[in-house]
Amino acid sequence: MWRYIVRRLLQTIPVILGATLLIYALVFLQPGDPIVALFGEKPVSDAVRAELEAQYNLDQPFLIQWLLFLKGALVGDFGVSYSGQPVSELIGRTLPVTFQLAFMAMIIEAILGVIAGFYAGMRRGKIFDSTMLVVSLTVIAIPIFVLGFGLQLIFGVQLQWVPPTVGSDTSFTNLILPAVVLGLVSFAYVLRLTRTSVIENLTADHVRTARAHGVSDSLVNRRHVLRNSLIPVVTFLGADLGTLMAGAVVTEGIFNINGIGNLAYQAILRGENPTVVSVVTVMVLIYVVASLLVDLLYAALDPRIRYA
Amino acid sequence: MVNQTPLLEIENLHINFSVDKRQVHAVQGLNLTVYEGQTVAIVGESGSGKSTTAHAIIDLLPGTGHVAQGSIKYQGKDLVQLQQKKRRSYRGSHIGLVPQDPLSNLNPLYKVGAQIKEVLEVNDVVKGRDADQRVIELLEEAGLPDAQRRAKQYPHEFSGGMRQRALIAAGLAARPQLLIADEPTSALDVTVQKQILDHLDVLTDELGVAVLLITHDLGLAAERADHLVVMYKGEVVESGPALEILQDPQHQYSKRLINAAPSLQSERLASRERIAARESAQEHVSEDGQSLTDDIMQIQNLTKVFKLPGKGFTKTDLVAAQNVNFDLTRGTTTALVGESGSGKSTVARMVLGLDAPTEGQVYFEGVDISTIKGHGRQMKFRRRIQPVFQNPYASLDPMFSIFDAIEEPLVVHKTGSRSEREQRVRQLLDQVSLPHSAMNRYPNELSGGQRQRVAIARALALKPDVLVLDEAVSALDVLVQAQILELLNELQVELGLSYLFITHDLAVVRQIADNVLVMRHGKVVEQASADNIFTAPAVEYTQDLLAAIPGRDIQLAG
Repeated sequence: MWRYIVRRLLQTIPVILGATLLIYALVFLQPGDPIVALFGEKPVSDAVRAELEAQYNLDQPFLIQWLLFLKGALVGDFGVSYSGQPVSELIGRTLPVTFQLAFMAMIIEAILGVIAGFYAGMRRGKIFDSTMLVVSLTVIAIPIFVLGFGLQLIFGVQLQWVPPTVGSDTSFTNLILPAVVLGLVSFAYVLRLTRTSVIENLTADHVRTARAHGVSDSLVNRRHVLRNSLIPVVTFLGADLGTLMAGAVVTEGIFNINGIGNLAYQAILRGENPTVVSVVTVMVLIYVVASLLVDLLYAALDPRIRYA
Repeated sequence: MVNQTPLLEIENLHINFSVDKRQVHAVQGLNLTVYEGQTVAIVGESGSGKSTTAHAIIDLLPGTGHVAQGSIKYQGKDLVQLQQKKRRSYRGSHIGLVPQDPLSNLNPLYKVGAQIKEVLEVNDVVKGRDADQRVIELLEEAGLPDAQRRAKQYPHEFSGGMRQRALIAAGLAARPQLLIADEPTSALDVTVQKQILDHLDVLTDELGVAVLLITHDLGLAAERADHLVVMYKGEVVESGPALEILQDPQHQYSKRLINAAPSLQSERLASRERIAARESAQEHVSEDGQSLTDDIMQIQNLTKVFKLPGKGFTKTDLVAAQNVNFDLTRGTTTALVGESGSGKSTVARMVLGLDAPTEGQVYFEGVDISTIKGHGRQMKFRRRIQPVFQNPYASLDPMFSIFDAIEEPLVVHKTGSRSEREQRVRQLLDQVSLPHSAMNRYPNELSGGQRQRVAIARALALKPDVLVLDEAVSALDVLVQAQILELLNELQVELGLSYLFITHDLAVVRQIADNVLVMRHGKVVEQASADNIFTAPAVEYTQDLLAAIPGRDIQLAG
């Protein structure tokens, strides 16, 4: 067990090296001059340019830039953004917001998805099942930004149930709509996965045997159908964390939330290597740790799985 | 002894399934009575309606199945007329079930003890800590050693036999008066089967539980039951005292069933013809001017060791086969008999050249097959030895038509033109007695027996000399099994084939084999002619295996 955890954590080293190198290469290949972007329309003197390039290592080839970044990151120094703020400070401010958003989204998709999927599976072919099928298909088919703007327009602008944008007040109520938007697509997948899994388990031999032993329907459904059906769902939720992270970039953009996704988005637009790469590193770390936790949870749910 | 009040009385039972608004009749007009303490067996092949009947009693018919007519009276109360909720209260507490497949009938996510405890708690027998104690008693009662520790383990840590014992403990936990045992041992090895059935006999006798035994095995039914009910296509064709039916069957179907039951057979299939075939096969070889070796294959000191991950970073050795020696004589059948884990399939894979032996050699016509190198020579060897596997449902590609399946080896080995290949497929279908019209069908449209015929045709496509039949008839109903054995025998005569016949079922061996190797834990424990194995088994293990064949002591008339 511990050997497995150590091995998994060691695996993150090449993952982080690869991911940051890739980002450095991508930003390097991106057209446009970050220093021009920084000064906007104003002309930049050669002296200032040289000084800035030296400060941000922009005069080095990108491989060296990458190595210098790694050197700093090892001791927790992610450098300074072009606007002069330490990147670690930026991440420290934005990460909790995104955490809150992603957590809410995951709760929404997991709880609602499992409940709806369970009932759809139990009532296969009935009205609820058919409705859910149509709803989930629709949600999956519509891109997240259309969904986001659509819901923002309806609930934020027209009904005014929630503020259309979040801004700096990241309270629970303000984040509900963005969390729903973020979790909606995955909700559809969780629903369908649970439904299929429930239908499969309903006809399992051991479920019939439990009924033959005199276990009541509701107990059989909870203990033997639902629990067994959750295993593939948990696996999906782990992998889905990546989708939530990617989705956070778009969702935070739509609702103007000062999360890490928005930070990354702005940094990419400005070609700010240190910020982009630092954010990616943090995201990769979170993803790796979260998927490790899910795999361990998986073993807790299914005793047949043992890690060695 | 048998009490004269009926415990279960089924009258004129009709069970239908609704398929596309049509009614399909699964059971028609079944009558059945089980007295207190009595064991009644329903015998029939798959699809005869025997399991459907069992499920109707406990109101667990799958899908659209429903009782269309008739009554199921338990202690005088008609269960069909009862409200669903009341009907369900009989489950577990009055009528227990021991299901068919021990591997799939325990929930993999819960400890074995917890699953038995559940039965105690939902039926209000005992609760809490007392229930834990009772679980251990029940597991001990079911013959599970070390019950205290075992109760805390998960199903995947149990062997098949242990799981079935746990299921028996669960089925009897709430002390029902009637136990439905639905093929309780057909997934188990014969010796385990015997132990479990013996134990179940003792247990139900002691507790005075009546048993409704569902089985396809006539020998087993006759040995275990007082009363037999023979079902065929949803109808009872014959019922009566077990011995009476066996010795004096009235219905045509019962007669066929008794004739086909391998466990009741003492005769070998047309052995004289096979000797003639063997001789003609030898002549055929000499005409070709090849070496006149009588043994087409020689297996010498065959050993296979698998490395398994052990504790920490060590590896432990698993000796799957150890020092196996035998010769396969041209035109004869050598049977490899053993229970699961005995290493028989490992030997088969090495003989086929699919696995390399750790030690020892496989000679095919005097050539060590490990020295056959290069694609061309390998292909030449492969076409001379072909496998037929156990499960005809899994070994045919569902997306391939029957024509595609049989043609595939011809295509792979680039044999003949398109029309020649089609000609060959037709010829092969004739050889395995399938109509040409089967060519355009898909595996799911064929029965198990038909599929196995296709698998045999496919194996024969390249005109091999040797067939390795790995449990080739084990998944089939007795009547179909008898047909396939007959077919294999005919083909051997016709084509001079040599068979390596791998099976766990000693009863089948009697019908097809000339020589027998009995394997246990990777070693050959006895090696003799089939006659000798059956008439004078030298080793205790072989004797145990023979004794475990159900119904072999029952005297048949004529």
